[in-house]
Amino acid sequence: MGFKHIFFKEETCTGCNACVEVCMCDAFAPNPVKGKPPLLVYPEECWFCGCCISRCPSREQGAIRMVTPFQMRGSFQRDRREAS
Amino acid sequence: MKHLNLVPIETDVLVMGGGLAGCMAAIRAAEEESVRVTLVDKSNTLASGCAASGIDHVWSYIPPVHEKMGYTLEDMAEDHRVGTSYGFFRRDLFTLAAGTMYERVLDLEGFGIRFRYEDSKIPGGFRIVPQFHSVPTSFNFDGGPLKPVLTKEARRRGVQIVNRVQMTDLLVREGQIAGAVGVSNRTGDIYFFRSKSAVLSSGRSNRLSRNPTGFDFNTRMPSPMSGDGTSMAIRAGLPVINIEFLSNILGLGPCGNYNPNYGDPRNTVQPAARIVDGRGNVIVPRTQFYDWESLGQVKWTEAVRQQWLADRKAWRGARAGLVKRHASGEGPFFLDFSEASDEEIAYIEWSIRHEGKGTQFLRYFLGEEGADLRRNRQEYAGLWPREISGTAAKGLWVDKNLETEIRNLFGAGDEVGGLPWQASPGAFTQGWHAGAMAARRAKEQRSLLQPERETVARRAQMCDAMVNGSDGFHWKEVEIGVQNLMDFYCGDVRSEGLLKRGLERIEDAKQAPLRAENPHELGRCLDVMSIIDNAELVLRSSLERKESRPGPLGFVRADYPDQDDKNWLVFLAIRKDEHGRFNFAKLPVDP
Repeated sequence: MGFKHIFFKEETCTGCNACVEVCMCDAFAPNPVKGKPPLLVYPEECWFCGCCISRCPSREQGAIRMVTPFQMRGSFQRDRREAS
Repeated sequence: MKHLNLVPIETDVLVMGGGLAGCMAAIRAAEEESVRVTLVDKSNTLASGCAASGIDHVWSYIPPVHEKMGYTLEDMAEDHRVGTSYGFFRRDLFTLAAGTMYERVLDLEGFGIRFRYEDSKIPGGFRIVPQFHSVPTSFNFDGGPLKPVLTKEARRRGVQIVNRVQMTDLLVREGQIAGAVGVSNRTGDIYFFRSKSAVLSSGRSNRLSRNPTGFDFNTRMPSPMSGDGTSMAIRAGLPVINIEFLSNILGLGPCGNYNPNYGDPRNTVQPAARIVDGRGNVIVPRTQFYDWESLGQVKWTEAVRQQWLADRKAWRGARAGLVKRHASGEGPFFLDFSEASDEEIAYIEWSIRHEGKGTQFLRYFLGEEGADLRRNRQEYAGLWPREISGTAAKGLWVDKNLETEIRNLFGAGDEVGGLPWQASPGAFTQGWHAGAMAARRAKEQRSLLQPERETVARRAQMCDAMVNGSDGFHWKEVEIGVQNLMDFYCGDVRSEGLLKRGLERIEDAKQAPLRAENPHELGRCLDVMSIIDNAELVLRSSLERKESRPGPLGFVRADYPDQDDKNWLVFLAIRKDEHGRFNFAKLPVDP
């Protein structure tokens, strides 16, 4: 299985393809089956701006979500008191 | 794949690149009656360019506030020239940006962008924070929805928006713009535009260096921007300045994917964090805030500038010092918000939400990690690729009306060189001005020129070979190869020997055949061709500039280690003549 960081929820994604249109990197393609979630074709070309999420009409219903890739996670102190 | 179709489009004003500058140009041009405007974007104007996912700040001279301080536009110009541009300064571009941005803010408010807040203590109800000048000059605003809003305004004025077409060639006839060629990265169709005037606003060149996170497209500024405008301009014989300033300007910064702009105590999220070491010792204190209560009581004086310059020097020192401290084993360093009040945290989250990848940062930081700004100190470390940043002010050399040497062709935004950190004010104001100029020229001209068709045919043939040929490299192989050679031969330390070898190697990249399996990959192949052109210009200009300049420009020639203001405090312009030879000119900076 290749790298993937954008996940759709079949039950709430209406297949409107707003994310396909808005993606600056052209990372998605519409699903050949109408009404189904788009396909993430080029995940490694993502700029991680999140416009696919912030401009999704069904975002409140969790239709689309991003899991931040491991190597791009921040480094922070989990609990300041413990660390000091 | 099948043979590529030719799509002809005739218009009056052609705008190439639909970021902030391009959208503003199209909106302004379309305000003129009976002027047809076409706006082309390689992505979608709803989310493209540096403001794709929003910006939360824009600098300006703000008359209702700055007049009360006794701070003039000339005072601000001098602040910018000395403290922000480090001498690489075009006064005309500054005056256009600082002097007209307030009018553009009022326009943006008219479009529905929010700039005023009930809790503000500042005249007008604004939020104004310090950024590049000795007094606060940057509006903080709800800029998250900028691109959808500007797209709507453009459509409302009848602008024809052509998305997913990347521009490849300028068509010139007898020294005047006649049109341009583009390629659709969705269909592979070749677009043949004819226009009476044009605006070039394709932005920065952002994929010239390997990315340490392992994701090549995880550049700090948007990765689709591959310097297409610079590439087109050079091939059309136009001069480009400052392109040698590809450097690592950032040193340490908040690490990971997100640069939510809250970490630098001198950045535009105010109040911000302070920087502490692992034991909690304060390395860089929090910013001192402007006392708005006393606005108008104390007038600005030269002493304010001198204090600001001293602070700025200390801050730059602190930042460079961090890198040095880190190297001597004193790290790690952290951004510390532990003393921030609830009100400040609410403000910081609001500000982050409207800027860049901020929405996703908050979702990640608060959601995925379950973290808390106050309790969980973020490490100040950073893994950044080198970039041609806002400090470099790389781009087209234009006249005071933003016109290039090709008549009726104007530049706007980051496409234009000469004003460091012109950033969004540059884009808003130059876009507006270029749009007005291009519309005027279009009205003056009766009919479209007939451009030569050879360039269109050649581009179609080249694309056809890439999509229908069986041999060739995948675009990514060549792109990574070019980035590697740039990092090796044109990295943090340069020299004549290395740069010359880099130029030999770039020839190999130019000769490498590319193959595309579909229109999307065809678009990427065209990106790579732009990247190669840009890389070559960086190498050539780096070879020509025989001096070193310390950070933030970070230009180091091992064979010319000293800064040489007498000979090199100039804009270095590179151009290609009709025989394919590169020429240089030293253009004066403004005093």
